[in-house]
Amino acid sequence: MRILFHRRFFGASALYALVAIAASAQTLPPVQSSTTQTNGADAKSLAPLIVKDDMERSVAVPQPVKRIISLAPSVTETIYALGAQDRLVADTDACNYPPAAQKLPKVGGPFTPNLEVIVSLKPDLVVVAANSGNRKETAEALDLLHVPTYATNAKTVDDVLNSIVKLGDVLGVGEQGRALSDSLRARLQELHRRLENIAPTRVLFVVWQEPLISIGQETYIADALRHAGAESVISTKQDWPKVGWEEVVRSQPAYLVFASAHPEEITAMLAGVRNLPGWRDLKAVEENKIVIVSDAINLPAPRLVDAIEELARHLHPEAFADAPHVPASVVHLAKRASTSAHAAENAQ
Amino acid sequence: MSTPNIPMVGTPSQSGGQPTGEPVRLSVEQASYAYHTKGNTAPMFTLAATSFEARQREIVSILGPNASGKSTLLKLIAGSLEPLSGRVELEGFEISRLNPRTRAQRIAMVHQESPLLFPTRAGEYVLQGRHPYSRMMRFETQNDIQIAENALAQVGATHLRDRWMHEISGGEKQRVILARALAQQPILLLLDEPTLHLDIGAQVELLERLRQLALENRYTVIVVTHELSLAAEFADQVVLMHNGKCLRVGTPAEVYRRDLLEQVFEAPLDVDIGPEGRPRVHIRGTKTGRPAPILMQDKLF
Amino acid sequence: MKALTLSRLLWICGSLLAVLFVVVVVALKVGAVPISIADLALNLGRVILGRASQVPSEYRFVVFDLRLPRIFLAMLVGGALSVSGTSFQALLRNPLADPYVLGVSSGGAVGAIAGLIFAPQIPLVAPLAAFLGAIATIAAVYFLGRRKGQLDSTTLLLAGIISASFLSAVISFLVTTLAGQNLRGIVFWLMGDLSTPLPDALHWVLLAGLIVGVGAIYTTAADLNVITAGEREAIHLGVDVTRVKLVVYVSASLLTGLAVSVSGAIGYVGLLVPHAMRMLFGSDYRVLIPSSLIGGAIALVAADTLARTVMKPTELPVGAVTAILGAPFFIYLLRRRLP
Repeated sequence: MRILFHRRFFGASALYALVAIAASAQTLPPVQSSTTQTNGADAKSLAPLIVKDDMERSVAVPQPVKRIISLAPSVTETIYALGAQDRLVADTDACNYPPAAQKLPKVGGPFTPNLEVIVSLKPDLVVVAANSGNRKETAEALDLLHVPTYATNAKTVDDVLNSIVKLGDVLGVGEQGRALSDSLRARLQELHRRLENIAPTRVLFVVWQEPLISIGQETYIADALRHAGAESVISTKQDWPKVGWEEVVRSQPAYLVFASAHPEEITAMLAGVRNLPGWRDLKAVEENKIVIVSDAINLPAPRLVDAIEELARHLHPEAFADAPHVPASVVHLAKRASTSAHAAENAQ
Repeated sequence: MSTPNIPMVGTPSQSGGQPTGEPVRLSVEQASYAYHTKGNTAPMFTLAATSFEARQREIVSILGPNASGKSTLLKLIAGSLEPLSGRVELEGFEISRLNPRTRAQRIAMVHQESPLLFPTRAGEYVLQGRHPYSRMMRFETQNDIQIAENALAQVGATHLRDRWMHEISGGEKQRVILARALAQQPILLLLDEPTLHLDIGAQVELLERLRQLALENRYTVIVVTHELSLAAEFADQVVLMHNGKCLRVGTPAEVYRRDLLEQVFEAPLDVDIGPEGRPRVHIRGTKTGRPAPILMQDKLF
Repeated sequence: MKALTLSRLLWICGSLLAVLFVVVVVALKVGAVPISIADLALNLGRVILGRASQVPSEYRFVVFDLRLPRIFLAMLVGGALSVSGTSFQALLRNPLADPYVLGVSSGGAVGAIAGLIFAPQIPLVAPLAAFLGAIATIAAVYFLGRRKGQLDSTTLLLAGIISASFLSAVISFLVTTLAGQNLRGIVFWLMGDLSTPLPDALHWVLLAGLIVGVGAIYTTAADLNVITAGEREAIHLGVDVTRVKLVVYVSASLLTGLAVSVSGAIGYVGLLVPHAMRMLFGSDYRVLIPSSLIGGAIALVAADTLARTVMKPTELPVGAVTAILGAPFFIYLLRRRLP
């Protein structure tokens, strides 16, 4: 009897404890944003800057932004390109460009970032990519935890450039952002000039081969193709349509375009499927009109322009007869930007 | 629907062991029923107006072949169906109008075995018979437990109390099911073809037990069956059904007439009266001309 | 004969609550960010005593904003799914029934997807739309599952399975044709995911729903015992089978709908916890319902804790963990109980 009573009592007190804990958690006052916590010796707390991000969300960006976490490879790449990488405290497993980014602390994958880790790193700003790797739920969750979260988004190449400029402004490197964007735009205009009188090549952009998945007209990749003097044979509003072989064979694209960091894998794959129905009916396969561009074309980040140029050169070599060299790459630009940023800081 | 006058063969007499002078408990008066399929106006099956009475300590057998209306009549008595015309009353109360809880405290039905969903011990199973007496959110009292144990004792199944229902034999299961019905402390005990899956020993044992219980506990027992010989041996009163009509009500000796039985069961049968005044049924005319032994469950015994 | 008594019930619940307490404490302690027990106790004490401002900020974030609500959610969802599963097993007369067999989770998924596609700008559109989808499915299956005016176990089961199939096809269709960037997260919903923090209000709504649903089912617990021994017999024992079935159907479906709206379709909990509890404590529903409730909470908190720590910092979807652990555990219990 005594034992029974003991058990009952223990169980009841466990229940009470659980309820007390749960109730106390819910009644805590909301945590203030991290800028008012100790965050460096002379943290001057200026009023946060209210901006609208690429998804029209209102974000209160603390000033200054000293600790950034990137949750997408395109964001990481852009931050390095803007020269703000010394303020980047963590990124995701998928962030592998530039190589230095691989050495940063990781918070998990873009799809499943670990909220605890993010929060314990006390970021001033978390940047997500709405259309390129992150879930809407992640941004909402961070909002709920009062962690300032900025979302980039882009539907066209132009959007990508505008997005870079906006992000630059938000991170306090507006000058570098504009310089970068201007130089990228200049290159695109030069490209446009070269391709002006050439009809666009009809291509099939292959995202995945089994099942066959291509891109829709409203993605920035489709826009990138247009800038490169190509036109996707698939015309649909769906972003990642699974296309039927009949449609593809009927339209007979002049080229098949793949994007990969490991071109040898694509070549090996093609060797395997070359004789399969569907593939063997394509003239592009028969004539070996295959283009494998860098996977940078998949990300709404500065190297997209590199990839566009690369693709244009492959498809229309005649337009580049007089300019065999690859123009200054984006990474060099960043170095110049950061040296000027350092110079500016030291001058203060 | 015409309601032919069913001849009641006299009041209970002394032949065949029927109790006299016991008060009437169950009264079925011109009760009829009709099953309709949805949308049809013509009924699918009809039970014509039937009447009989049953007293305390009496065993009544509702006898007939398949599809004769036996189960329908039993359902009317159990209160699951409301009679289309006529009345079915238990101690003066219209059964179908009783609220289900009260009904369950008076009438206990023993079904053929149903598969149990989860493993249950026999004791727990019998304890469920106390459900009509329990209040919501209360547990069984010591009294309930005592009653359940008594019920098990009465069917001679006390040793089965802690055994799993799925591990005991068919006959043992039948006893436990009966014990559950007894735990309801009913005054009317209904059994629907209880002997179907039992071997002959178990069948006899069951019916003897019923007779004993009826006498000791003053039950009124109604057994639906198509077993001619069992009914002849154990029933105090027989209600003979055929095609939804009650052909005769009376003691086994009165009801077991060759012409009636042959008509109802569509088999060549002979009837004679045994030493205790109870009829015995034989299959008449095999190829050799010998009278064949007692017809039991379509197997020759 | 050992009949169920109040003290036995309390003994069982008390022991289970003690286990739950231990599991919760462990869950609070482990994670991508390590926290020591001493610190935990100290800070919890501070909070309970009203000195919340003394709690260091990282504990506040990690423990109180992230872990504790998540553990609370896991308790509620685990409990709801387990009670729902055990109720459906009785209602549908099928030991393999789980909370999703009647299509409630598929209806919720369709609702969530439709919400994310057509109205992504509304805050909390996914849980709200999921709940509406679940309700619509509950109503549809109810009307399909009736025979002669009352719920018939076999008809209900068939109606539910057909609805679930149909809705799954609708989901495939929607995901394939209308997949936009907002739907990327739907795969987590379909697998079952507790990692997304929710506003406090939803927690309280879920708790209220749980109390009401479980309470309603518990009032029929004694009746369910009799019904599982045979429906025909139950009628003759005075049970109002029609009413009981309706109450159980609506309550259990609502519990599933609530759980599924906030966490997607987490599998195996609703199927295995009732059986585990049955094997430990017997099939009496008066014990089974509260023990499933607490047992489900324990199971899901444990599974979720594993999901977020076993491969940190990557988080596995909790549905995967429940599946991987569920089957062997079930086999172990089976062999132990029935030699």
